[in-house]
Amino acid sequence: MAFMLSLMTQERHLLSEEVDYVQAKGVEGEFGVLTGHTPFLSLLDIGELLVRNKESLYSYFVAGGVVEVLPDRVTILADTIERAEEIDGKRAEEARQNAMEALKQPISPESRLGFEQVLKREGVRLRILSRRQSTRHPGSLEE
Amino acid sequence: MPSLRSIRSRIKSVKNTRQITKAMEMVASAKMRKAQQRVIDTRPYAEKIYDLMHRIAYLERSFPHPYFEVRPVKTAGIVLVSTDRGLCGAINANLFRSLTRFMKERPGTNFEFVTIGRKGRDFVRRSRLPLQGVIHGVKDRGTIEEILPATQVVIEEFYTKKHWEEVWIFYTQFESIMSQKPKHEKLLPIDPQFLTEKIPAGLSGEYLFEPDRRDILDVLIPRYFETVIFQRVMENFASEYSARMVAMKNATANAKEVIYGLTLTYNKLRQANITKEISEISSGAEAISQG
Repeated sequence: MAFMLSLMTQERHLLSEEVDYVQAKGVEGEFGVLTGHTPFLSLLDIGELLVRNKESLYSYFVAGGVVEVLPDRVTILADTIERAEEIDGKRAEEARQNAMEALKQPISPESRLGFEQVLKREGVRLRILSRRQSTRHPGSLEE
Repeated sequence: MPSLRSIRSRIKSVKNTRQITKAMEMVASAKMRKAQQRVIDTRPYAEKIYDLMHRIAYLERSFPHPYFEVRPVKTAGIVLVSTDRGLCGAINANLFRSLTRFMKERPGTNFEFVTIGRKGRDFVRRSRLPLQGVIHGVKDRGTIEEILPATQVVIEEFYTKKHWEEVWIFYTQFESIMSQKPKHEKLLPIDPQFLTEKIPAGLSGEYLFEPDRRDILDVLIPRYFETVIFQRVMENFASEYSARMVAMKNATANAKEVIYGLTLTYNKLRQANITKEISEISSGAEAISQG
């Protein structure tokens, strides 16, 4: 049984279609959604979003936002979202290196927090990218 | 009878005007296409968050929250979205007319304004209404940060001071190049009766919140009106450029007509002068030959 998934940011509408399964990272941990889920609202963390539709599995990078789960639909209003294939590995690696360099310097706690966020974000991006490059069978997702 | 020279200079000036209006038409049409795309990109999020907030208000109606609470209205805040520049047809005039009607229908309510766009600011000042915040110079490719000062005023007046009991937004909705409509919507309080979509059948329970209700609503509510205000500003841009494009197209066509008419008069006059001169010369020659 499929349900409706809508995926968007303030600037961009990525997807509105029927899917079978969604897995996302909320601020209190990862969760998976199948049709008929109880109404549920969660803030999103930085993490990977997985979407399964019949035989295909799609991966997205998501940072911040909110997800609304209803029995017949899921709406993800993200702050940042990228398709796995849109991730720029080189840029992510550079940003991560820069942040690591900056963290070695003595800096204020606020900018430390900022750089740690960058580190986390780019780390997730790179992890999604590397997992994408290693072969993955569609539908091999644990539920 | 105007002189040849004065007609010639008028033709020249109208031709200049035509060149300017033509250029403005082309600029507006290029900008319009981009703005139209932006409207298409930003509409879904604004619609979803609008529905989401109203659904929460409905499902969670047994939990009081300052942003959901309907209070008797003494003062209403209005976010007025208009254009910075003129020469865009009647869209601002139509918007102000609908605003005036709206205010007339609510005697006894005070209205206070936050304006985005110069024309709206001028209107509010001209009407001697209280102005709480002014933004202008927002860019059509701009980001949400540019309208944040307006949301600050909304939070301050509605939530912190409890001075506004309602907040409305007025803007011109983009329907198509030929049609733009003045619209108004209630932003706050979030009143479930304004839910545009039906609550799915069998959905009666409350949400599970992660982390808790309060934290989520604290994040969602400001984002809700930020996004809606921002999206409406984008709608207004698309409307502005469409209206300007059409207005300038008409102006160019009018200029062409005027030039045609003036050229006709000019040629007739020139011909008349030549005829007159020839007859003068020939009658002069006749007089000499007879003498």
